[in-house]
Amino acid sequence: MAGHTRDEGFGGATHTLGLLYPPAGRGRAYTTMQLAFVGGVAEAATAQGYDLLLSPGERYDDPSFLRMIGDRRVDGVIVMEIRREDDRVERLAEEGFPFVAIGRNQRADAAGWVDLDFAGLAGGCVQHLADLGHTRIAFVNRSERLFDSGYGFARLGDEGYTEAMKKLLLTPRAYLCGDDLASGEQVVERILLDDPATTSLVTLNEAALEGVYRGLTRHGRSVPRDFSVVGVAASPWAEQVTPALTAAEIPAKEMSRVAVDLMIQRLRSPDSPPRHVLLKPLVTLRASTGRCRPVPGSEPEADFSDFPDFGIDF
Amino acid sequence: MATYDQGDGHRRWSADVATVTVGLDGIVTGWSEGARRLLGHRAPDVVGRAAADLLLGREALQAAGLALTGSREWSGTAALRHRDGHRVEVTLHAHPSLGGDGTPQGFVVTVTTTPADAGHDRTMMEWAFAQASIALSAYSTTSRSWHLNPAAQGGEQAPGAESGRLTATPADEGFLRCVRRVAEEGTPMRYEHSAPEPSSASASERHRDRIFELWPVRDPATGEVVGVGTAAFDSSDQHSARRRLALLQEAGTCIGTTLNVTRTAKELAALAVPRLADFVSVDLLDSVLRGEEPVPGPVDATVVLRRVAHRSASAGEAVAEAAVDLGGIDSYPPFSPPARCLTAGRPVLSGADDPDFVRWIAGHESRNAAVQAYGIHSVMAAPLRARGITLGVAVFVRTEGSPPFEQDDLMLAEELAGRAAVGVDNARRYTRERTNALTLQRSLLPRDLPKQAAVEVASRYLPAGRGAGVGGDWFDVVPLSGTRVALVVGDVVGHGIHASATMGRLRTAVRTLADVDLPPDELLTHLDDLVIHLTADDTVDGGVRDDTGEIGATCLYAVYDPVSRVCTLASAGHVPPAVLLPDGTVSVVDLTPGPLLGVGGLPFEATELELPEGSLLAFCTDGLIEARDHDVGLGLERLCEALASPVPSLEVTCDTILKALLPDSPADDVALLLARTRALHADQVAAWSLPSDPAVVADARAQTSRQLAAWGLEDVAFVTELVVSELVTNAIRYGAVPIGLRLIRDRTLICEVSDASNTAPHLRRARTYDEGGRGLHMVAQLTQGWGTRQTSVGKTIWAEQSLPAG
Repeated sequence: MAGHTRDEGFGGATHTLGLLYPPAGRGRAYTTMQLAFVGGVAEAATAQGYDLLLSPGERYDDPSFLRMIGDRRVDGVIVMEIRREDDRVERLAEEGFPFVAIGRNQRADAAGWVDLDFAGLAGGCVQHLADLGHTRIAFVNRSERLFDSGYGFARLGDEGYTEAMKKLLLTPRAYLCGDDLASGEQVVERILLDDPATTSLVTLNEAALEGVYRGLTRHGRSVPRDFSVVGVAASPWAEQVTPALTAAEIPAKEMSRVAVDLMIQRLRSPDSPPRHVLLKPLVTLRASTGRCRPVPGSEPEADFSDFPDFGIDF
Repeated sequence: MATYDQGDGHRRWSADVATVTVGLDGIVTGWSEGARRLLGHRAPDVVGRAAADLLLGREALQAAGLALTGSREWSGTAALRHRDGHRVEVTLHAHPSLGGDGTPQGFVVTVTTTPADAGHDRTMMEWAFAQASIALSAYSTTSRSWHLNPAAQGGEQAPGAESGRLTATPADEGFLRCVRRVAEEGTPMRYEHSAPEPSSASASERHRDRIFELWPVRDPATGEVVGVGTAAFDSSDQHSARRRLALLQEAGTCIGTTLNVTRTAKELAALAVPRLADFVSVDLLDSVLRGEEPVPGPVDATVVLRRVAHRSASAGEAVAEAAVDLGGIDSYPPFSPPARCLTAGRPVLSGADDPDFVRWIAGHESRNAAVQAYGIHSVMAAPLRARGITLGVAVFVRTEGSPPFEQDDLMLAEELAGRAAVGVDNARRYTRERTNALTLQRSLLPRDLPKQAAVEVASRYLPAGRGAGVGGDWFDVVPLSGTRVALVVGDVVGHGIHASATMGRLRTAVRTLADVDLPPDELLTHLDDLVIHLTADDTVDGGVRDDTGEIGATCLYAVYDPVSRVCTLASAGHVPPAVLLPDGTVSVVDLTPGPLLGVGGLPFEATELELPEGSLLAFCTDGLIEARDHDVGLGLERLCEALASPVPSLEVTCDTILKALLPDSPADDVALLLARTRALHADQVAAWSLPSDPAVVADARAQTSRQLAAWGLEDVAFVTELVVSELVTNAIRYGAVPIGLRLIRDRTLICEVSDASNTAPHLRRARTYDEGGRGLHMVAQLTQGWGTRQTSVGKTIWAEQSLPAG
């Protein structure tokens, strides 16, 4: 390896980076998104002359995590799937082991991190719908378990949505939804029951999207003609559903690259202040959003209020 | 000889014969009517008297030795006294009339008048008959024998005859029938004997054209027809003159039947062979074939001509005599007969005895070979001159076995060439007009369709087969912003230059309107207005030209967007396109036909069609699908069929369609435009929604940069980010939500920002201290082009950058 000779001298000499990536999907399976991150990190690390050591460690006492840290088998660690309270991050920070987080929490601020501005993304989705004339916008979040377990983005997304709605003087209506098809159908049921005049929704839950589409079809709502859906999703996946989902991209490749860059930077100059990169991708326009067509009977008839009421007084 | 006539004058030159019988004693025993006529005495007055009493001088008679005693025949001359006393000189011929025992019983005396000059005259007359320069003959009905004078014998009538008395008859059956009729009916007739055509006859036979005058010969006494007299006149000249006249007359109807230069030349060759010549070639100046006016060249220069037609009398299609192939070029040295005739503008007669001809032939290998092989010995070169300009030359050739050309043939050749020249000149003028019209038409049609990535296109324009040929059909492919493309096909009613010119105006108008990026229905409305204005202008300008008062035109305008794969079409009375989907289904696009252009007041409707990638659209004009034998519906069906047949390329499909649908000579002009749609894939297009928040500009730049990195276009990232931030800032500052940003990576990189406001930006000239107004200037400077288009919900501003090669 070329790196052996070149990088001898700083931050250890393994020329290996560790990646902690607990499977996040149902039944502890890896999601497409996660695999995209793993691939992205591996690619970026190789480009920098580093090899990658993988561990599905979710907690600090996971044996593979302990081996990685305790034996100093890697020069630094990239941590994924950060929870709000994350003992892995605690432990790494305590030991002063160089690490970079994909995702963030309070503790990770001490090190570098790269994250998506989930609040901003959710807000952007709301804004997009509002620009199209929608006023009744629901929010479909991840599962209750994930929300409660403290995954940051689920809460951040909810916050961003609520804030954006309030700013627009609209009523926020957020729903938690299981990461599966059936839950998607159910959540639509609930949304339309609560407010039949709903014309759009923002979703963070890509796993439930097929179910959401199915539920909308069952209720006679055609996307994007009668109902607009906008989400946060990875691009290959958003393009595969029909109609293709208008969504804020999760730029997995970009985030992986930035994470490795931050890691290398940290290894080269350990004393520099930690850098935090917050990405805010735009909402990519595809085929699932359209101008608002109010549900018949749900809105008062237009009273030409757009026309200024000129008083004729001469 | 025989008495020819019973008229009064005959006695002066013809002989009268009288018979008298005289007994041995010299007493007259019989007196004939002829004797009465001769001497005036009636029989009763003379019979019984001594014959000697009739004599004027007895001694003289005896001195001559007449003795009515012996049994000898005696002839002699004597002078007799007429009853009125005048002297009649006669020849006496006494034949003894013998009895049964052989002794003379008496004498039969024939008395023939022998006036002093009669004998000489008769002889002279016989000489005249014998020595007549014209062929004379007499036929005796009683003896059925012919008497011919040497002129007649020497000729063809009875070859080999030596005496004036023949049993052999003239060979011509028709002639004999004529002779019999004259003999039977007793009326003069004329008989014409014509020689066979020169091509199959030898030279001598050419002189056999004759006219025979036939008349009945009557016995003056009885009036009975006893024979037929004939006189033959050589009418060869007259006959050939008549044949020439017939040839010329035929030339009037056979040459110049079409407005085709080559065809006219061929007609000349076909007419002249074999009647005038054994081989004919027609060569024209090259410029004539192009329809141009030939420019007179220098006099003593080698002439270069192109062989347009030639024909040989020899059987078969091959023209072995020709030294130049059809369509081939040959040069003629200034001394050669063709060049000489071109220079002089007069026909030239030449042949093997002309040193120039020999020199010319000797200098040309293949020509020399032909001359040797076919025994070419006589040549005429006649210029094709019409309306004062020389167009080419016709060369007439006689080969071995035919007589050489004569002066008369030369005149005929000149005349024929003249007729052909007028035909050729007419055809040339027509060719020029047609070429001009076609050139105009072609210059008005797109030559190379513009490069664009939205559709793959192939097109055909066919002028009408007949008439002026040009028409008002057109098609066009106009690249629009955002990789979209406009496909146009239209048809101006009518033919000729006027239709073409109108077509040109409309096409330009459509291009201009397309450039403004109007939606199809709106574009047609503008075009409709334009046609109404044009009609009004035409009517005002030329009140006389009432044929131009109305402009009838149809147009189909379609915009295809490869990003959305939506084709938006609007039609102004035009035939709908057919579409072949990738799965093989073919259909005619169902769209509202709309009114014709120039009608005004009626709306046009746009139809949207989402097409899978690789769909094939076929736009055409009614010339393709409408024909005399079927209507538009059937034509469209056939178009669909032809479109569905699997063929490898668009060009081949074009040909297949034309072949399947068009007759050989289409009555109307035809335009056909095929377009196979492409689609821009998701990885070539990126579109984002932007909140109307100045803070988003940075995000938009970042997003753009990320996208360009993904496309591997980091080279243009700097400029693109500037453009994006300018356009986005403008949209946020002046536009209305929703705001969208779109990047299209195609042959170029297109950056589009759309918003819901209809106000289009102006390229303002920024003053030194102005804060605003620089953005678009910068965009214009940095990019290859920028523009704006109206959309259904607002406007889009776009900027296009060329991408680095590779």
